[in-house]
Order: sequence, then structure tokens, then C-alpha cells
Amino acid sequence: MNIYKYASPAMFYPLAGKLIPWFAIPAALLFATGLFVGFFIAPTDFQQGDAYRIIFIHVPAAWMGMFLYVLMAIYAGIGWAFNARLSSMMASSLAITGAMFTAISLITGAFWGKPTWGTWWVWDARMTSTLILLFLYIGFISLQAAIDDARRADRAGAVLALVGVINVPIIYFSVQWWNTLHQGATIRLLQKPTIRGSMLAALLIMLAACWLYSVAVVLIRLRCIILEREQSASRFAEVGV
Amino acid sequence: MNWPDLSMGGYGFYVWGSYIASLIFFVWEVVSLKQRKKALKQQQQQSSKPVSTPVLRGSINETTS
Repeated sequence: MNIYKYASPAMFYPLAGKLIPWFAIPAALLFATGLFVGFFIAPTDFQQGDAYRIIFIHVPAAWMGMFLYVLMAIYAGIGWAFNARLSSMMASSLAITGAMFTAISLITGAFWGKPTWGTWWVWDARMTSTLILLFLYIGFISLQAAIDDARRADRAGAVLALVGVINVPIIYFSVQWWNTLHQGATIRLLQKPTIRGSMLAALLIMLAACWLYSVAVVLIRLRCIILEREQSASRFAEVGV
Repeated sequence: MNWPDLSMGGYGFYVWGSYIASLIFFVWEVVSLKQRKKALKQQQQQSSKPVSTPVLRGSINETTS
């Protein structure tokens, strides 16, 4: 089987349609499981009380916001460098979901900050750089929307996405580089997490749910983008442009 | 299993507020995608309709007036 044939939007369209339920249904189940573990099993934190339960949505959303940006920049870059249409369409599809997760992380962060820090917002390194991430997403989406020619829009978007990628390590390391109000990482790849098992389980299940959800909605949107571009291309063909 | 205290130990507004806000975002994304799909389907149906024979403009008016 030649997998490269799926790089063509027309070939990928039916495959994406078949894949969507395999991500959407497990996503719904994992959201339910994650919330159950987070609210019914995980104990109350001795320092932050029940306010800490916000992290079960806040942390996965913040991770997804950063991760989807990197993914979007990679797809946009591949689309630009190799003139791969599907890859650029994937980048456009990722942008909205990434922006949504970044917005969720900012809003839930404010809801967490008010009771624990006593303020909704501070211009602290991590929050400011996350806000910039949201602006980069919005910039990418509006830049693409402003250019009529789809391929030119893809190229312009790719430049913005690739330049903006520098912001992601800034967000990630901001808590180490600057003296900030935001707490440092609780879960690290190579060290034992400083968090109770059931809390960690809820967090990771919610992360998996957000992941599966993202794949499902990004594929649905990608199918819409493929159809929209195909339609506008055939419309141009009809009028002979 | 322990039933959660709905008031969240006094943090109810913040905890539920953040989950409701997140839910609104998720629902918004799914609903707007559904609408986008629906609009596309309608467009497709319109474009796949057979083209009606063009009416010769002005032919009737010119003879009657």
C-alpha cells in the first residue's frame, strides 16, 4: 500500500472521515473518566483546598495550546517548503483548536489565580507569553482569512507561524528564567512528579481526552477546508479565471 | 469514591466558573464546525443541481411593450 497517496487532499478526505469516530468517541469517554477521577476520587489539596481542581482542565489546555502551535508551525513549514497543500490545510485547521485551548488556559488560569493569588491577572512572564501565543494564533487565522488566494495565504501564514514558534520555549521555561508568580512544573519527564497519584491520573486522563478531541475536531475541520478549497477552485474553473 | 462538596469548600464560583467557561468553548467549537459542514453541504447541493435553461432576457418585454 502506498501511504504517500494520502498526501493528496482528495485521497485523504475519505480516510479522515473514517478516522474521526475513532478519536471522538474515546475522547468523550476519557473526558467523563477524567472528570470523575478529578472530582470523585482525587482528594482535596491541603494547601489550595478544592480550588486546585481547576488544574484538571487548565494544565491540559495550556499544554495543548503550546503543543498545537508547534504542530501547526511544523505543518505550515512543510506545506511551504514542499508545496504540500494538505499540510498547509492541516496547519489552518489546527490554528482554531490551538487558539481555543490557549483561551481556555488563560481563562481557567484567571479563575485559579483569583482565589489563590488574589488577582485575576498579572503581567507575569508566563501569562504574558501565553497571551502572546493567543495573539499569534489570532494573527495566523486573520492573516489567512485576509488573503483570497489560498496558496499565498498558506505561505504568509507559514512565515508567521515559524517566527512565532520562538514563543513556545519562552512560555515553557518562563517559570525558570524569570521570577514569576506562576508556580514551576509539577510534572517533569525525568523526575518523580510531586503530586498525588489520583491527581496525576486525572490530569493525564484529561490530557489524553484533550488530545483525542483535538485530533477529531481538526480532522472534521480539515475535511471542511478540503471541500471549501475544492469548491472555490471549481468555481474559478467555471468562470475561466 | 467520595462525593464532592458542590460548594468546593468556598471555591465553587471559581471551580465551576472555569469548567463552565471551558465547556462553552468546547460547545462553541463543535457547533460552529457543524454549521460549517452544513453550509458546505447546502452549497454542494446547489452547485450539483442541473443548470436551468437560461431565459432570454428582454424577449417578451420587447414584443409586448
